[in-house]
Amino acid sequence: MIKIKKTLMVLFFSTLTSLVSAETAVVVAASNGNATMDKSTISKIFLGKSKSFPDGSQAIPIDQKDGSPVRGAFNSSVLGKSASQLKSYWSRLIFTGKGTPPKQSDSDADVKSLVSNNPNMIGYIDAASVDASVKVIHKF
Amino acid sequence: MNKILILSALTTIAIISPTTQASELNINGFLSVGVSMLDNSDVTLDGFDTTGNFKNDTILGLQLSKQVNDKTTVTGQLVSRGTDDYGTESAWAYASYAVSDDLDVRLGRIRVPFFYYSDFLEVGYAYDWVRPPSEVYSSPFSSIDGTDLNYRFALGDWDNSVQVYYGRYSRIGSGVDLKNFAGLALTSATGDLTFRASYHRLEIETDGTGSFGTVNVGAAAVIDTTLRAALNPTNNAALDANIDQAVIDFTLTGQELGFYGLAAGYDNGDVSAIAEYTQSFSESPFFPAVTTTLVKVGKRFNDFVGHLSYAATENELDSGLDGTIQKSLGFEDKQSSIIAGLRYDYDTSTALKLEVQSHDEEIVNGAKGESAMLYTVAIDLVF
Repeated sequence: MIKIKKTLMVLFFSTLTSLVSAETAVVVAASNGNATMDKSTISKIFLGKSKSFPDGSQAIPIDQKDGSPVRGAFNSSVLGKSASQLKSYWSRLIFTGKGTPPKQSDSDADVKSLVSNNPNMIGYIDAASVDASVKVIHKF
Repeated sequence: MNKILILSALTTIAIISPTTQASELNINGFLSVGVSMLDNSDVTLDGFDTTGNFKNDTILGLQLSKQVNDKTTVTGQLVSRGTDDYGTESAWAYASYAVSDDLDVRLGRIRVPFFYYSDFLEVGYAYDWVRPPSEVYSSPFSSIDGTDLNYRFALGDWDNSVQVYYGRYSRIGSGVDLKNFAGLALTSATGDLTFRASYHRLEIETDGTGSFGTVNVGAAAVIDTTLRAALNPTNNAALDANIDQAVIDFTLTGQELGFYGLAAGYDNGDVSAIAEYTQSFSESPFFPAVTTTLVKVGKRFNDFVGHLSYAATENELDSGLDGTIQKSLGFEDKQSSIIAGLRYDYDTSTALKLEVQSHDEEIVNGAKGESAMLYTVAIDLVF
């Protein structure tokens, strides 16, 4: 009985923490050879400045939908840019043939299914959605 | 063992799949619509007049690109400009081949990387102004037919790129060909800072026909009068030879023209600044050295950006007789503008812009000019 109570308490508090400060996790496939990555490495991949992981394998970033809270958090915390600034950044590259923005995914579940099946992909999801199919390489 | 085989088979499939995804046709576009009014009809500025002008800032661009295979992408960009009565031009039309992750070769019609904002000159959404100041951004053409190499490399915290191009431009007017058009642009960025340096050169050839191809009769007459007045004719044969030579010097054919530009930019998302300097040079007195400068500062307030710019252009005339002829031909020119503007990001693909430009023609076509205010309201979209 005490055990159940404790579990409930833990569940309650973890839910509370995730509500108060929803953490975002940057994830790759469990089979991806990279352990952890810092903000600037992740930012370079998502801005198209770098096309590979630190271990040299190809990196394919997956964005979340425009306007979603997790996208907003990623934009400001990791990329350090507002949605408009990013649009402006990409329009400078798109119309010169120098780059295309990452493909967009619809939800945490979609990102997980894409990333878990492809060791070259990298995405970000709400930390609460993390499960064994993906590996967290950065959290904020 | 089996597990490893299955794993590697899965990995192979996973690696192949993004390529299949990438082979779709990408369609992107941009649209700018603006209305401007000048308050002084004696001033010439970007083709505006004292009645509302809806045409000059209106540009529609449509870009199609498709990855043909692992290494090759084909891109076409059609641009329809109000200044050309909405005639459509292929601003870009090229095949790009990725030699490696860091090196691309392009073949076809490409943008000349003259200035800091050259690559996306017409994509109004990509910058704060309604249009880059024409004191600096004044090239009569923006694309050439040829080839270029783009190489990207990192040095410590610096992301660098080198672009080298070669081609020709034969659409400037009947019978004029800009040949051996070549140049180099270097860009280095670290953190919020970007530096850029570029060098360009070209040769002019004419077929001897059309308004540009032959000796300008009016100019030849001015040269004749100027030299006869400037030189005390003790030897008429020598004077005639002098005049003949000057007329040749002041003709388009066979001239070489060079240009270099330096720029520095800063943007931390909140405060931004850019400074740009360009200088043209030529052996020929037909092209006086043109120096242009530009300074812009901007500050972001949530969805608004307020900005202030100063832009200037000045022709430096040669010394001696060539300079006297240049003066007679009205080559003296000195103009500047102060631009204050406000950009509002309505959403992530629409920007509204208000701009007031105070333009001063200190000397225009060799004569004292006037000043004017230009008011503009514009909207820029990307899709």
